[in-house]
Amino acid sequence: MYEEPYRWVEAVGNRRQYLDAQFAQGSPVVGVSCDQGILLMTMSKGTPKLYEIYDRLALGGMGHPADLEKLRFTLLEMAHVEGFNRSASDVTGSRLIKYGIAPVVKQAFEEVFKAPFIAKLLLGELGQKAGKDGFLTINYDGVFEEKNRYAVLAASSSVEQRMVEYLRPQSCVSLKDAVDLAIHAWAIGDRAQRHTDDTGGDPKDGKGSSDQPVADSQTLMTHIRQCMQGKSIECVLLDRHVAGTSKYRTLGSGELETLLPKDLSSALT
Amino acid sequence: MQGDFYQLLKEQGYVLGMSGQAGVGQALTTATTILAFKYRDGVLVAGDRRATAGNMVMYDRTDKVLEIDRHSVMAIAGVPATAYEMVRILEHSFKYYRRTQLQELSFEGKLRALSKLLKENVPAALAGTGAVVPIFAGYDAEQESAKIYFYDILGAEFEGVEYAVSGSGSPTIRGILHYVNTWGEQPLSAMSEEQAAVQALRLLTSAAEFDSATGGVNREAGLYPVVKLITPNGVTAMADPHLRSLFESNVSKGS
Repeated sequence: MYEEPYRWVEAVGNRRQYLDAQFAQGSPVVGVSCDQGILLMTMSKGTPKLYEIYDRLALGGMGHPADLEKLRFTLLEMAHVEGFNRSASDVTGSRLIKYGIAPVVKQAFEEVFKAPFIAKLLLGELGQKAGKDGFLTINYDGVFEEKNRYAVLAASSSVEQRMVEYLRPQSCVSLKDAVDLAIHAWAIGDRAQRHTDDTGGDPKDGKGSSDQPVADSQTLMTHIRQCMQGKSIECVLLDRHVAGTSKYRTLGSGELETLLPKDLSSALT
Repeated sequence: MQGDFYQLLKEQGYVLGMSGQAGVGQALTTATTILAFKYRDGVLVAGDRRATAGNMVMYDRTDKVLEIDRHSVMAIAGVPATAYEMVRILEHSFKYYRRTQLQELSFEGKLRALSKLLKENVPAALAGTGAVVPIFAGYDAEQESAKIYFYDILGAEFEGVEYAVSGSGSPTIRGILHYVNTWGEQPLSAMSEEQAAVQALRLLTSAAEFDSATGGVNREAGLYPVVKLITPNGVTAMADPHLRSLFESNVSKGS
């Protein structure tokens, strides 16, 4: 029956609704560029959601763990074969996402008899110089966007919009600034998602969340502290100053303690 | 096998080495002296910088002590084309494993990876077009100790408990290493970083004296051997100015 154009459009619409609902409980991901490099941050329950892809590429994801793993492996294979056959400089986020992942994700989304990828990805790419860093995000339907300075993933575009509105006017210089901004943006996103979920708002348009005012820093920190009872803060850095070719490193609890706002660092221990 | 980069390359049609006809009469770029020994803080790995083809010096700035990852080094003797290719495969293999499996490949796994590559390269090695006889040294995080292994061209691995040497200049310095380690003022393993570096410079200078395919120090051109140190903190290369200073004060006859 999907051979009829109307049925196909209807099926894709249904699929979009189904997929939007799948991300409602997910943990947002924030990427911020600073002098020291690119910070990716999220909160997770044990299973990590931030990964190393190549020397200067880090990945954050939302969605079903099995689908994230499948896309992560595809990225890893492409990046390493390209890096071996050509050079590390030829492995770019833009080529991996635009010509590698996006067509696969779009095809899976539109083939209504097959399962789509329940995944959204954020790829951070460390530039050779500060100011040349970049981000790419890709949605479950294969739509990708390129950004610089910061990028976010959340359950809906309106929640992402709220996080971006917070990040846009902020200046980020040090790693401490980046951690602070990422934590606040994550809290804004997570609160907005939960509000949408509680009020039964449509996760696609996210009306429930857009009506909600952005909370003050104190409220956001309280929210993070509550979340820290079941989840842990996960931060990775593509560190410009690390010696060697691989720039990716995880920020351990000791380092996070010194970077997080005071009331949160005490909650770490 | 999960996380196997070499398998992934092979699935895409990659073939290591050039097999087939023996390279009779062909002057392949080859010859070297490389050495590794344990000193107080870890392992020192050093190599001369000359690449030759027959009687011709092809290049005098070769780096034969190559960092594979933050904690391991492969020193190469033999045909550079094959050796460099092996280094690139290993470098990508270790990274690929770490990134896919979210854990470091064990030290034994790294040794085995090199052994497998050498085994795959046997046809080229026997044909005379791609023999490689490397030394692999690294810090084993599980055992909390630095280790040295050397290989034959067929892929057999042997642990160099105190030291290992390879290349055309190695017979000369093997005897010296045994002598110094057994009857010297102190065993190699008790030497400080500076003492070990001086020892390496003296050994490579001796190898160059007796082996035309090993390059010595060229002070006029500012060419010194490559010396790398592996400690629990990772791999570091000794800078040329430091080597020059050590050479002038401890190795040069004019000092």
